[in-house]
Amino acid sequence: MSDDKSKISNLNVLTAGLIRQNPTFSQVLGLCPTLATSTNAENALGMGLATAGVLVLSNIFISMIRKLIPDVIRIPAYISVIASFVTIVNLLMHGYTYQLWTNLGLYIPLIVVNCIIMGRAEAFASKNGIWKSFLDGVGMGLGFTGAILLLGITRELLSVGTIFGVRIWSKTYGMFVMMLPPGAFLVIGFYMALFKHIANVRKTKKVKG
Amino acid sequence: MLKHFKTALILTTLMIVVAVALDSVYLLTKKPIAKSDLNAKLSAIKNVLTDPNTGKLLIKESEIPKSLEQLNSKVWKSDPSGILYENDKFKGYVLSPAYKFTTTNGKSAYVLVGYGIGFGGRVVTVAAFVKKDGGFYENAIRVIDYSNETPGLGAEINVPKVRKRFYSIPNSGFENGIKVNKDANLYPLKNGYLSKLNSYKSKGIVVTSDVMTGATITPRAVVSTLNTMYAFLEKEAKQ
Repeated sequence: MSDDKSKISNLNVLTAGLIRQNPTFSQVLGLCPTLATSTNAENALGMGLATAGVLVLSNIFISMIRKLIPDVIRIPAYISVIASFVTIVNLLMHGYTYQLWTNLGLYIPLIVVNCIIMGRAEAFASKNGIWKSFLDGVGMGLGFTGAILLLGITRELLSVGTIFGVRIWSKTYGMFVMMLPPGAFLVIGFYMALFKHIANVRKTKKVKG
Repeated sequence: MLKHFKTALILTTLMIVVAVALDSVYLLTKKPIAKSDLNAKLSAIKNVLTDPNTGKLLIKESEIPKSLEQLNSKVWKSDPSGILYENDKFKGYVLSPAYKFTTTNGKSAYVLVGYGIGFGGRVVTVAAFVKKDGGFYENAIRVIDYSNETPGLGAEINVPKVRKRFYSIPNSGFENGIKVNKDANLYPLKNGYLSKLNSYKSKGIVVTSDVMTGATITPRAVVSTLNTMYAFLEKEAKQ
C-alpha cells in the first residue's frame, strides 16, 4: 500500500512541472531568458536543456546536503552550488557546442539567477529526498524546455517560415516582428491564455462531475 | 561562538568541494575549448580572405592555414602583452598576433583580430584588409566572439545579412573613421536607401539600423574595432 502511494506521489512530482505547475506558463518564472533566447527553435532547445541540466544537478546536490547546511547560510550555499553547475555547463558548451554557446551568449551565465532553479532548490530540494528532488528537477526542466521550445518553434515559424532551419513556408509570409521582443510577448501571452483556458475547462468539468 | 565557527567551517568545506569540482571540469574542458576557439579563428580567417562578391579566395587554397603551426607561420607582428595596438579615439584594440598573406595577384592581405566593447564586454572581430590604391581595402569580417551580447538583439551581429553591411569598405570610408548610420545623422532611413549602401560605405557610413533593430551598441563595437585596425595598418603597414 505504501509502495503504491509512493509511486503515485513520485509520478505526481514528475508530471507537476509539465503542465499543471509549468514553470513558464503557470508559475510565470524565468521569463527573461525565455523571452530573449526563444528567437528560434535551436537556441530555445539549447537554453532549455542547459537550464534543465543545471536544475536536475542542483536539485540532487542540494537535496544531498540539505541536512548539513544551517538555515542561516542556505541561500549563499545554494547559490554557490547553482553557480558552480552553471559554470560547468558553460565550460562544456564552450568546448563542445561552440556555435550554440556563442548564440546563447550572456544567458548561459545568467542561468544562475533563473528563479526556477533557486525556486525549486528552496521550495522542493531543500525539503525532500534525492530521488524526489531528481524527479522534480526532471519534470520542471522538461516543462521549461517544452515551454521555451514551443515559443522558439512558433516564433521561428512565424518570423522566417522555418522550424530548426527546415523551410515550412516561404519567407515572404514571415512576420519579422515575431523575432523581436514584441513578438515574444505576443506569443507567450497567447500560450499563457491557452494554458489558462485549458485549466479553467478542466476545473469546470471537475466541478460538474 | 562555536555555532559561528561551525557555520564558517561548513561554508568553507562546501567552497572547497565546489572549487575542486570546477577545477576538474576546467582541466577536462581546457583542450576542447582551445580547439573550438582555434577552429572558429581558422574558419573566420578563411572566410575573411574570400571575396564576398565573387566567392573566390584572395589567396591560394594551399596558403589557408589549417592548423596552429600553419597559422603561426603567417604571423606578421606580435606582442607578448597580447595587445598590438590600442586607440583611445576609437576605443578599440588590435590583438596579437596579426597575420600577413600574399594574394594571388601579389598584393599584401592583412588579417587582424581585434575587439571593441559591446553591451556585455568584448566583441571580437576578425577582418581582412588588402593593401591597394595607397590605402587599405576592407574585404570582409567575421565576428567570432559576441557571447556576452543579447540574443535576438546584439547577438545578431554575425548573421550574414548584418555582417555584410560591414564588408567591402574602401579606404575613402576610413579617412575620418567609419560610423553606424545612427551616429552619422542618417536616421530614420529614407526610401531607396538600399540601392545607396555602397555609396554610404565609401563615405564611411555603415547602415545597420534596419537589420539590427533595437541594437546599436554591438555594431558600434565592431565599427570601433575596424577603425582601430585601419589606424594600426596606417601606422605599421603604410610603407
